[in-house]
Amino acid sequence: MSMAVHQASKEEEFLRKLFSGFYTSCQLGVSKPQQREFGFGGWEKKIEFRHIGVKGEAELRARLVSDAPLYVSYSVAYYEFPAARPMVKKNWLGADLVFDLDAPAHSCGKFTCGQCLAQVKRETIQLVEEFLVPDFGFSQSEISVNFSGSRGYHVHVVSDAVEQLDREARREIADYITGTGLQFDKLFWEEGKKLFGPRPSQGGFGGKFARSFLARLEDGSFALSISRSLKDPAIRQKMRRAIEEGNWDPIGIANRKKKFQEKFSSMMLSLSGRIDSNVTADTSKLIRMPGSLHGGSGLLAKKVSMAGLEKFHPMEDAIAFSSGEAKVKMGEPVPRFSVKGEEFGPFEAGETRELPLAAAVYLLCKKAAVLE
Amino acid sequence: MADLLFCSHYPFTQQAKEYAAQHRLELSDSIVEKAEARLQDALASGRIKKAADLPSAQEEEIAIYAVARMVVSAANNRYLIRRYALAEAKRAGEYLSSDLSSHPEYVEAVAGELGLKFEKQQEGFLIPFAQYLLFTPRSVDYKLSNRELAAGKVRVGKQERIRILEEAVRKRIESSLPMKADFPQSISLAAARISALIPRLEAQAVRIGQENYPPCIRKLLEDLSLNINVPHTGRVVLAMYLVNAGLPDDKIVELFRPAPDFSEKTTRYQVEHIRKHKYRMPSCSTVDGYGLCVAECRCGNPMNYKESVHGRRLKELEKERKA
Ligand SMILES: [Zn+2]
Repeated sequence: MSMAVHQASKEEEFLRKLFSGFYTSCQLGVSKPQQREFGFGGWEKKIEFRHIGVKGEAELRARLVSDAPLYVSYSVAYYEFPAARPMVKKNWLGADLVFDLDAPAHSCGKFTCGQCLAQVKRETIQLVEEFLVPDFGFSQSEISVNFSGSRGYHVHVVSDAVEQLDREARREIADYITGTGLQFDKLFWEEGKKLFGPRPSQGGFGGKFARSFLARLEDGSFALSISRSLKDPAIRQKMRRAIEEGNWDPIGIANRKKKFQEKFSSMMLSLSGRIDSNVTADTSKLIRMPGSLHGGSGLLAKKVSMAGLEKFHPMEDAIAFSSGEAKVKMGEPVPRFSVKGEEFGPFEAGETRELPLAAAVYLLCKKAAVLE
Repeated sequence: MADLLFCSHYPFTQQAKEYAAQHRLELSDSIVEKAEARLQDALASGRIKKAADLPSAQEEEIAIYAVARMVVSAANNRYLIRRYALAEAKRAGEYLSSDLSSHPEYVEAVAGELGLKFEKQQEGFLIPFAQYLLFTPRSVDYKLSNRELAAGKVRVGKQERIRILEEAVRKRIESSLPMKADFPQSISLAAARISALIPRLEAQAVRIGQENYPPCIRKLLEDLSLNINVPHTGRVVLAMYLVNAGLPDDKIVELFRPAPDFSEKTTRYQVEHIRKHKYRMPSCSTVDGYGLCVAECRCGNPMNYKESVHGRRLKELEKERKA
């Protein structure tokens, strides 16, 4: 690590000043700040300084205002001595359970498009509504969701039940959600001519599959791809009744296991590949502090209620700077984007524009423009 | 009224402790001798023999257990503690299995004492998933992905319930040892005799070139040689280091031998796996994240330690400062 004096650019100074101003009066609302480790980042690195400890919210705010970091992270862990080094001396007390969902890789690149943001939002809702609440039994009050400030969402679970879980237990939770290690064979077993399988009333992936299967049985082409005899509504009814009792083949289906396996794979019941298991398993992870500004977009890592998530749009609802303008010169072609419903661009490289502050900050943070 | 049979089967329970306290069980030579035998069994076979269910033997069982704990505490050795806790847990598991039909209320009582919240169902039992994760091994059989999980609870079978209880007993006993106290001489002498039986496998062969190993790796090796249990991540990191440092598999496996739960097959498989997949050594910050960093040597990656420019640079800096 070099301590060479880093010459701040005009843009960096401009942003730091804005961020500092923002932190003087923003809401912080960090739970137990005195037990968390903080990390601050700048123009070059998202975490430049870590092992930062504070006595409480007032000190945290003072540091945010004076250091004006472009990125703020905090530990999911609670420590007795958050600033101590090496890690063992911090004395780990417990940790929130977190999930990191990112938009998929897409041609939109660093200007994450609306579709990508919508998709990762859907997956976040799915994580909460299909896994955390029904399967893991967390209550809505234990779950909080925030926009990451960039391309995705973070879900924090604060619950006595999970605070003490170690890495391996947390990885097991992530594996469940991503369907890692899921074995279709364990869901079905044959006894003579009969095939037994999961009931729709049961927990886990077996129940998910059975419910999803029954929901689609009235869909003609789906039913026919299992057996031609399911054309008959009476036979479908017979099939439905049987599956409710865990008997999956009351009608003599050819190649039944293979067919069910195919349906199982195509239903995508898990969030396979959609959450970063390493983040969930890391009991000392530093993660974007909810409510802080993201230096790569200028957007707020805003907390969103589950009820409000459906209607949440980062480019409208996570805007931190609502007044003022700035003149910027594009350093590269910029695709059309919108801020608070107002459309901007596309711009060509070299073009100079006077833009509302939020739009200018967005481009400066993306390093797609410079101050003019 | 204390249930003597229950207390003798489960001497780690509060009820048994109270019984022992009320009846002032004596510390006779014969009890110390039997406690020593219990520990010898635990060390040699990982098991403790069940005693006959006779009233005289029952009270004695409680006393033997209490004395065995004193001896283990006086010996104060991590390997002995782990090995002993494991053997006591297996013994408890055997009683739990047999009491399931004759005294099902005993099983309930042990679960209650350990804070395990099993709910009886038509098929099997439900247990909160966090307790499930805490007390089941991370193996294919217990993979959460293949389990019935709903409303925060996992369904387990009858046998699995016993296995979970056994693991909770093991953790309870292990975390309660050693007790801090001044022990009478008869206990200290027994502890010395038992200590002599603890395998000392920290072969000198191991010490090759260790002075070049970074502090975190030396600490892991030291813990292993002292029979201290090293967590899974620590073992993986150590194996990665040793593979990358060019040690042959056989030598690496030997280094792991002193671990209280050493399995040659598993260790060999894991070492071969690391070699086959050419796993690179994780960085210092990752190692620190695992809670394994013990010194700020600032070499970036434990693999750099030996050549570390750093060591040299530090000396240069010091020279500069003096000049
Ligand atoms: Zn996109």
